[in-house]
Amino acid sequence: MPALEPVEAVRVVATPAAIDAARWVGDDVDVIRIAPDEALGLGATGIDVPGDPDAIIEPEAGFAVALLDTDALYGVRDHIDWVVPDEPGTLAQGKIAGVPARLVTGDRALLVVHVAYADELERRLGWR
Amino acid sequence: MTDGRIVVDGRPIELHAGDSVAVAILRAGEVPGRGGTLCLAGDCGNCLAEVDGVAYVQTCQAPARPGTAVRRHPAAGKPGLPVVDLGDVIRIPVGMDIAVRRAHAVVAVVGSDADRAGAAVLDASDGVDVMGIYPGPTIVARESGGMLHLAADEIVVATGSAELQPVCDGSNLAGILTPRAAERLEAAGVDLGLVARVGRELVRVEGDERGRVRAVVARAADGSEVATECDTVVVDLGRAPRDVLARMLRDDAVRVAGSAADEQPLPPPPTAGIVCPCMGTTVDDLETAFSKSYTNLELLKRASWAGLGPCQGGGCLPHVRAFLAAKTGVIPDPFTARPAARQITLAEAAADTHIDAFRRTPLHDEHLAAGARMDRFGGWWRPWHYGDVVGEYWAVREGVSIGDVSTLGKLIVSGPDVVEALERIYPCLVADIKVGRSRYALLLNERGHVMDDGMILRDAETRFTLTFTSGGAANAEMWIRDWVETWGLRVHVMDRTMSLAAINVTGPLAKELLGRLGLADPPRFLGHVRVDIAGVPCHVMRLSFTGETAFELHHPLDGSVALWRALMGRGRDLGIRPHGLQALFGLRLEKGHVIVGMDTELDTTPRRLGMDWAVRMVKPAFIGRAALERTAKLDDDRRWLGYSMDGQAPVEGSPIRSIESGEVVGNVTGSWASPLLGKALILGWQRRRPLADRVEIDGGEATVTPTPFYDPEGLRARA
Repeated sequence: MPALEPVEAVRVVATPAAIDAARWVGDDVDVIRIAPDEALGLGATGIDVPGDPDAIIEPEAGFAVALLDTDALYGVRDHIDWVVPDEPGTLAQGKIAGVPARLVTGDRALLVVHVAYADELERRLGWR
Repeated sequence: MTDGRIVVDGRPIELHAGDSVAVAILRAGEVPGRGGTLCLAGDCGNCLAEVDGVAYVQTCQAPARPGTAVRRHPAAGKPGLPVVDLGDVIRIPVGMDIAVRRAHAVVAVVGSDADRAGAAVLDASDGVDVMGIYPGPTIVARESGGMLHLAADEIVVATGSAELQPVCDGSNLAGILTPRAAERLEAAGVDLGLVARVGRELVRVEGDERGRVRAVVARAADGSEVATECDTVVVDLGRAPRDVLARMLRDDAVRVAGSAADEQPLPPPPTAGIVCPCMGTTVDDLETAFSKSYTNLELLKRASWAGLGPCQGGGCLPHVRAFLAAKTGVIPDPFTARPAARQITLAEAAADTHIDAFRRTPLHDEHLAAGARMDRFGGWWRPWHYGDVVGEYWAVREGVSIGDVSTLGKLIVSGPDVVEALERIYPCLVADIKVGRSRYALLLNERGHVMDDGMILRDAETRFTLTFTSGGAANAEMWIRDWVETWGLRVHVMDRTMSLAAINVTGPLAKELLGRLGLADPPRFLGHVRVDIAGVPCHVMRLSFTGETAFELHHPLDGSVALWRALMGRGRDLGIRPHGLQALFGLRLEKGHVIVGMDTELDTTPRRLGMDWAVRMVKPAFIGRAALERTAKLDDDRRWLGYSMDGQAPVEGSPIRSIESGEVVGNVTGSWASPLLGKALILGWQRRRPLADRVEIDGGEATVTPTPFYDPEGLRARA
């Protein structure tokens, strides 16, 4: 069974242009653009946001993630009421099994959820 | 030759292969429902019965299988509810055994009356029962093995046409068929007896003492009435669109095709008889409703109940439209239909649906290990108590205690316009809050009603941390984002509610404990600093909800367990113990602190709470100011007050009564048997002028008492 694991990240809220121009610090950073003015850098240890002195940059330990292979994603889709986009790299946000969550599509999809919901989501997906 | 038997009201009835339940019953010379015209096409509610424990099933659509148990609905009234053992309800979660298949289609066609190439097809002939079309649009259907939730970019309803049913005296008798129903029964070898066929010349149907057809009366070409004795009447009045599914969702993505889209001529306006067999609505009922000015179709439907039953107008809609058209000269559009188009069980409806998820703090397992009784509160699992509420209380009042307040709402706001934004949002002054200081604040809506409360903490000249109640956090976040965007101010907002945990360290020994763990220079009351506590980076906020010295330690989730354990470990010789919500509510009650959402109502103002001090009307503008200014000039008979009484603490929610008249003048919002003060303390509303000094609560006499009940000068919190 897949499992949701807490992940170290850096979270930033800034002007969209500043986030576009940001340089993330860290190896193998996966950037999720939550909103035009907000991004989450999974695996990041820092970020340089030029041009926005009021950017809010915070270390983030509040998310858990799971990488889903095709079979696991198929199982998760059975708990999704909305249309999951096919295009790789697309961020979709909505309820999965009634729990607020995010899904980044791709060959291996990334399921992202707040740690506060992780235990409940795993139970509802039958992962535990 | 028979293929087994079904059991109808406890008696076996033979069936033939391919029979529906209705056909099997009719073959036996009996009636599946309460009478009325049978269409045998699933368009009406005249063959409803309980099938295998499920009531209101259209028996014409239910296949008859050996052993199928049928109970006909009573001739009058509703079928009885199933008898369910309470233990079964508790042990077997409803819906757990019903699978849901979710799918997506570009085009989905319901029915067979349209081009289906390349489309997902849902057709009853394939064993798929479409229950309804919901916003999305999404089709919910029953299929082999469970339920189907099909999201589609476009839905084509191609369900064909239904046959009109007669409305006249005697149309509720048994033995009336539509032409297609008659064909089906004849093809199935059902003996219909003496058959009379009639069209729009139908006048009435006459019956015998058993409620069955005896004769049909038609109008001859010369205007006379001609009666024909018969066992079965086949009435051909034409067709109507079978559009019940399309009427469930008015959406550009849902269209009707084939004969379901054809505009058919309406029947003659009904003059007598039952219009809506499902609800028993008569033509007289329509006349009465119309005479009371229910002249719009949707209103007429609600006033007369026509169309509210299981078939949702499948039988009566053309007649009700014809009725209104004759009255008003305008043919009204069809009324809305509601799911489900086929009977659905609660288990099927609930399949794979979920109640709201409750969040867990990172300390959840620590609470369980400490023996906490967890409960849902404000969208979170929280420790209600650890087995000794009074002991937890005394730890706060006399020693040191820790509580999990991770659930509090937490926002960071930053930007060149942030002070301007907060001055407009909050009723208190913001600009004069110095860096490293904080202020308690109410959050008001435009009507001046209290939405939430919390703290404003200044981190830098253009950056603040805001806190909110646990239950109000999400709403407060949306509120602030919405206003910032509406005003076009340059303010960034980051929600940290689920990113940070928080532990409240409170009690006279709190400073001693935190000093041991790294807080060498604790902030003074309403100050805040960032410092490592037990190696965990913390934003330490000095404030107090308990009435004692208190520090909230806001910190990253991944350090929470270590911090909790360090506090418990280093505080052992100080008698530390955790406190739950129950003790916290008692502690705050002694201080008279409000809990927004528990003590407040939707129209609670600061004045009603006695919290005018939290509003600075000297500010030129803030949300709710205009309303407060206007209502300040008006009398207001509501006040949230403190009370004390001897004896047991009353139950929260108890009525507060006038001693003189016994009239209910308010209610209790919080109560607590104070171990320190030795009496029951109460917070609650009075809604009558003049406000009484003495009231009756739970049979005892309570005295209005100024709050805070405890340490009114606030010396202990500031110590």
